[in-house]
Amino acid sequence: MSALLATEFLRFWSRRLVRVVAALVILGIVVAGVIVFATQSYDLASLPDVFLGTSFVFVILGWLFGASSVGAEWHAGTVTTLLTWEPRRTRVIVAKATAAVVSVFVLTVLLQLVLGGVLAVDAATQGSTAGTDGAWAAEAAAVGLRVALVSCIFAGVGFGIASIGRNTAAALGVGFGYIVIVENLVRGLRPAWAPWLLTENAGLFLIGDPADFPNLDRSVVEAGIYLAAVATLLLVAAAAQFRVRDVTV
Amino acid sequence: MPATVRERNGEPKVLTTMAVIETEGLRKEYRRARRGKTVALDGLDLSVPEGGVFGFLGPNGAGKTTTIRCLLGLIRPSSGRCALLGSQRHVEIAGVIGRVGSIVETPALYPRFSGRRNLELLGRIAGIGRSRVAEVLHQVGLADRADDLVKTYSLGMRQRLGIGAALLKDPELLILDEPANGLDPAGIVEVRDLIRRLGGEGRTVFVSSHILSEVQQTADRVAILSRGRAVAAGPVDEVLSAGRVAGMIAKVDDMPAGLRALQEAGIRAEATDGLLHVELPPGEAAHVTRTLADRGLYLTELRPDAVDLETVFLELTAPPPGTEAASMRGADAAPTHGTET
Repeated sequence: MSALLATEFLRFWSRRLVRVVAALVILGIVVAGVIVFATQSYDLASLPDVFLGTSFVFVILGWLFGASSVGAEWHAGTVTTLLTWEPRRTRVIVAKATAAVVSVFVLTVLLQLVLGGVLAVDAATQGSTAGTDGAWAAEAAAVGLRVALVSCIFAGVGFGIASIGRNTAAALGVGFGYIVIVENLVRGLRPAWAPWLLTENAGLFLIGDPADFPNLDRSVVEAGIYLAAVATLLLVAAAAQFRVRDVTV
Repeated sequence: MPATVRERNGEPKVLTTMAVIETEGLRKEYRRARRGKTVALDGLDLSVPEGGVFGFLGPNGAGKTTTIRCLLGLIRPSSGRCALLGSQRHVEIAGVIGRVGSIVETPALYPRFSGRRNLELLGRIAGIGRSRVAEVLHQVGLADRADDLVKTYSLGMRQRLGIGAALLKDPELLILDEPANGLDPAGIVEVRDLIRRLGGEGRTVFVSSHILSEVQQTADRVAILSRGRAVAAGPVDEVLSAGRVAGMIAKVDDMPAGLRALQEAGIRAEATDGLLHVELPPGEAAHVTRTLADRGLYLTELRPDAVDLETVFLELTAPPPGTEAASMRGADAAPTHGTET
């Protein structure tokens, strides 16, 4: 299992999509840093808010990386090749999902470190670092970790849907349709169901203050557990389907 | 029970009469919403003995790839059973997969990784090191292009890389699905030689193909598949001669006298196209020679009336008369019974 897991990690980090997108994000962060440096005096105390403000990018990337890590394999037919080396399908899908989810977590943390580092340089050279004490560091770290956790949870959701649909586009399409259509319909027609919407729970978990989401009537931890449960359910369904369905690609 | 001894990696290997691949009543149906039921395998019985090259022949849609996918646990049979090196269930396949190398249809590898990287990634799963990867790349003639991205490879090079991946485990049993696909004539000869060599080393090479001349040149035994069933199986010579009178072609200067001499000696023969078709097995050539020579007739030609695999194949896999496929065959139509998956 460890060799399979190591191989899946290697595959994930060798993927062109991951490398190119990560490079583009880093480039974007650097360009943003230069613009901030040139146009304003940045206050580093607002870093947790920056992490929150950019969280949607990392969450979408998490979904994309999770979905494409398995969707691309179905598209290329490499699942067949892999199963002729490791026919225990549960092991295969667990290794793939673990590699995708853990890698998305690590990648999100690393990209946020780059973001924090660039803004720290801005603040140190032409802004303010006032108020960046231990409490600030703890808050920034907590927000950054929550963003990384939500990203990897959504990576799991994307992985699960792409595995069931055997297609990256299916996962992206379902995600888009769910967030844009289903959630808005529920909010408008069945507001009482809002506590079960993914974006509501993700918002609560990221912001970390139940007072901002009074209609959910749950704690930050409960929102995180709910999101994790949805992702786990999808992954279990994907694994169950992968175990029994014919591989004909 | 020991049957044969062959050399493998310099070590003598005792081959037994054990079947390395067995199927019994293997049936696979696909049900699709719009197209209804498609029968890909219709009660296939097959037994592949250990050692040598086994050719698995059939037209497109006969069920060759479906059989291979069943054997490798990629698809579940609707009924019947199949066994690979004695394993019968999916969980048991994991125990023998390390002894089986395979390619299924066009080898699917990561196009944006190099050939070497692809093999290293697969090898890591089975604990195979880089030196073995380098050895295999050399063996399949890709050492010079090993570090190029697979997406820059030709179809033939991808096919060779797929064969390399199958060889990586140094397997006892190789399952190759149309290994000559996309190869140029030189590549086909290389693969043919490789298959012969591997089969001669004591491994079992199970080759599915529709290139009949290739199979005839490499295989010790064949099975011919038609509409999901094996319509012939056994040693190549037996399959070629099955159901027909073994004979010889003879030629003498005075054909009427030659025909008369043979018939008077009780040998069934007929003269067509300037040749005598003698209904005696090639093993009795001396009898023909002596009979004609006793009458002062001397042979200018005597050879077995050989039937090639293509003829047998076309006879055995021809659709039943009156079916749509039969009426379309003249236009090179594919059989409509099954769908190669």
